[in-house]
Amino acid sequence: MNSVINQITRHEWRYWHRTKLAFSVILIGTLLTIISVMVNTQSMQHTAHEREHLQQSSEAQFLDQPDRHPHRMVHYGHYVFRTPSPLSIIEPGVDAYTGTAIFLEGHKQNSAMFADQRQASGMTRFSSLTPSFLLQVLAPLFIILIGYASVTREKEAGTLNIIFTQGVNLRHLIIGKYLAIVSCGLMMLLPLIVAGIWATFDGESIFITGSFVIGYVFYILIWSGIVIAVSALSNKNSVSFAVLIAIWIAFCILLPRIGSSTAAALAPSPGKLEADFAVLDELRKLGDGHNAADPAFEQLKKNLFTQYNVDKIEDLPINFRGTVAQYSEKKLTDVLNIFAEKRMQEELAQAKISRLFGWLTPTTAMRSFSMIMAGTSLETHHRFLREAEKLRFDFVQSLNKVHQDSLSYQADANRYKNAETAKMARVDAKNWQVLSSFSFEPDSEITRLSRSFPYIIQLFFWLVAIGFIFRIAIRRIR
Amino acid sequence: MLLFSNITREAKFLFKQSYLLSLLSIVFLLSTFAVWSGISESNSQLSTIERLQEKDTIDRKNVLANQTSFGSAAYYSFHLTYSPPSAMAFAAMGQRDIYPWKHRVRMLALEGQIYETDADNPELSFLGRFDFAFLVSVLLPLFVILLLHDLRSAERESGRYDLLITTARKQQRLWLSRASVLCLALVGALLLPFIIGALTTQATLASIGLIVLVVLGHLLFWMFLTLSYTATNRAAKQNSAHIASVLLSIWLVVTILIPVVTDIIIDKLVESPNGGDIVMTQREAVNAAWDLPFSATWNEFLPTHPQWQEKTQMDSLFAWKWYYAFQQVGDQKASALSKTYRNAILKKDAMAGNFSYLSPAMMTQRLMSSIAKTNTIASMEYEQKIRNYHQKLRDFYYPLLFNETEFNYQIMSELPQFSEQIKISKNDKENS
Repeated sequence: MNSVINQITRHEWRYWHRTKLAFSVILIGTLLTIISVMVNTQSMQHTAHEREHLQQSSEAQFLDQPDRHPHRMVHYGHYVFRTPSPLSIIEPGVDAYTGTAIFLEGHKQNSAMFADQRQASGMTRFSSLTPSFLLQVLAPLFIILIGYASVTREKEAGTLNIIFTQGVNLRHLIIGKYLAIVSCGLMMLLPLIVAGIWATFDGESIFITGSFVIGYVFYILIWSGIVIAVSALSNKNSVSFAVLIAIWIAFCILLPRIGSSTAAALAPSPGKLEADFAVLDELRKLGDGHNAADPAFEQLKKNLFTQYNVDKIEDLPINFRGTVAQYSEKKLTDVLNIFAEKRMQEELAQAKISRLFGWLTPTTAMRSFSMIMAGTSLETHHRFLREAEKLRFDFVQSLNKVHQDSLSYQADANRYKNAETAKMARVDAKNWQVLSSFSFEPDSEITRLSRSFPYIIQLFFWLVAIGFIFRIAIRRIR
Repeated sequence: MLLFSNITREAKFLFKQSYLLSLLSIVFLLSTFAVWSGISESNSQLSTIERLQEKDTIDRKNVLANQTSFGSAAYYSFHLTYSPPSAMAFAAMGQRDIYPWKHRVRMLALEGQIYETDADNPELSFLGRFDFAFLVSVLLPLFVILLLHDLRSAERESGRYDLLITTARKQQRLWLSRASVLCLALVGALLLPFIIGALTTQATLASIGLIVLVVLGHLLFWMFLTLSYTATNRAAKQNSAHIASVLLSIWLVVTILIPVVTDIIIDKLVESPNGGDIVMTQREAVNAAWDLPFSATWNEFLPTHPQWQEKTQMDSLFAWKWYYAFQQVGDQKASALSKTYRNAILKKDAMAGNFSYLSPAMMTQRLMSSIAKTNTIASMEYEQKIRNYHQKLRDFYYPLLFNETEFNYQIMSELPQFSEQIKISKNDKENS
């Protein structure tokens, strides 16, 4: 029985070898993937080095600052850069659309700046030369070109009945042809596997790259199944072809975009500016941290007076200005985080609506899975924002603590009087060491796997659906 | 007259085919969806701008109420700038999802603020929007190919071909009229929702006309390409599916391969400074000023603002005029880099424009977003407006700061406002 399937598969291969079309399609598909893997690997590595370098020089610059008033350093701020994940050589995901650098400073949460697409020529808004685009969008088309006639060809030539009279089981015939198409599709995956190995050497866990590649194998299995099923259900080559092309347009081009437009229309996100105003509303109640005389800090002052048993700010053993700075930064950050979190949840809700379209098209299911596994999805970008915020809060508060503990209130109050007092209102540059170094690591394996779980289910759903259609197809031919 | 009777005959014949009707209704539904989601996006942008304007006014009023000097008024008050979507933006959202269309600035160094982006959800931008421009530039050719590739071969395969060409008076005319009927039906299904949408958003007749021309141009290109390929001797020997796959490969090359390859070429050809360098330069310049003698700031500031030559004396180690002067110096130091950066974007865009002659899809996309004023150039114009407005703020505050005018709210009411016509009234349909 297996030998029959084997024979059919090999016969299919021989047929493709004879007809130039199928052969050149496989060749072009594989070549394109190789080229895209090479181009992408090169550019991603360049980007990774560049950002690592920028990160280091940004940290060095911060530490190199001279003796200063600590609050000057709060405003001097710091830059963090997001380094791309190893698998982004295959699936760059949202990387090109999110900012890659954030300026961290006191009292503010800035947005990420310098998204690559803003500096691009605009030619890659529909397509891009990334392995993920090729495999998710173009590979199905290539599979269609190779396989649309695999059953209808036999029907048109009348050879189907001859095969049956030779005693070949219909199911074996379909499986044999299916395996032939799958093997073609897998050839296009070869460069992906090589890139996956490369990413593993680059620090990605073997478990993740393994699951990543298996996901793509599933995708090839699904599309090969669609092609065979349609070919088996059609009576003519031309019908099979037209139907498959229509399915390809719908699945690969239309539905993913309709998903994105639907998400934007159903769950509009008000954007950061609008949240900023809401933050401002909240903040007005909190008081200005630059102004220790703001009535909002009256309670804080009273508490400190009782704690240290004094009745004048000047008599406090700590610098009240520094205390206020710490206090208000904490309050402010709490408010900022509430709104930032809300905004991220809104974005995620939008993304999830568009990912629901994975039930309607395997391409969206594949794309969601691929982005999450590669660590280039929206969730990872959000984590970058959260980690950057944590770093911001930590260094700002540490500087505020230096402000409170290492600088006397008197010297602080007189900082603008003359050159002498200005010098007194400085702290030693070794205090700048409070800045911890930033390196952005991909999410853990478990996080990525559990996050991609719904999309793994979607892919399974498609596999099962294909198996179901197979059964119908086999019954129909009889 | 003959052509007309040809066409009616073909129409009667073609519309009896159910697959054609279903394809046309799909196109109609897609176009309706694209137009609907575009209008909903446009409306949500407009109402966002309106809400922001309101909040901006309230916020500034609140901030100014607590101020006692012009310096702190300038420090604490933010100003909203925005770029409303044009009436045609619903059809081609263009680059509006990656370039900002709303931005708040204050009197500090602009180079530190202008790259902040309140961009759309990156995952949705990555997936791309399904707007009318996408339908026309990417999908329209596929519909044309699906409709016309088997014009001859279907007749051949069903054995009617020889009969048809012997009975037809002129062979060419037969195929042309059949193709025209199909394409007219296609373009009707495509344009009807668009025109209704454009009329409801009150787009100018000229811009509607231009978009229709672009759609027709793109359609005609693919119609003649398909017709001339199917008429070749080569195609005569191929079956329908084979013909379609050849046409599809052409589509693939001009719609996908040429754009991605030219993108790489453009990237290699145009040298662009790293955005990070601009903001770092600006930051170093601004922050170093605190530790440098005042003369360092004045020596840079006065050559560009000689009118304040006599007004640089300061009573204490801090004065707002000095603070804003070194903010200005920060911008000046970063300005060369920033200009190169912007020029690189414009140059890339111009080169993409030249390369788009090789890709009808890109050409269509670019033309439509240029008519809708949603392209890169429009975004860069908006950025320039922000810069001009920021300059106006400086022109307003500098005399007050340097002349040490007593703070009063009367003067603050003359604060320059960013204004951009947003509602298009019925009698003035011309969008600015």
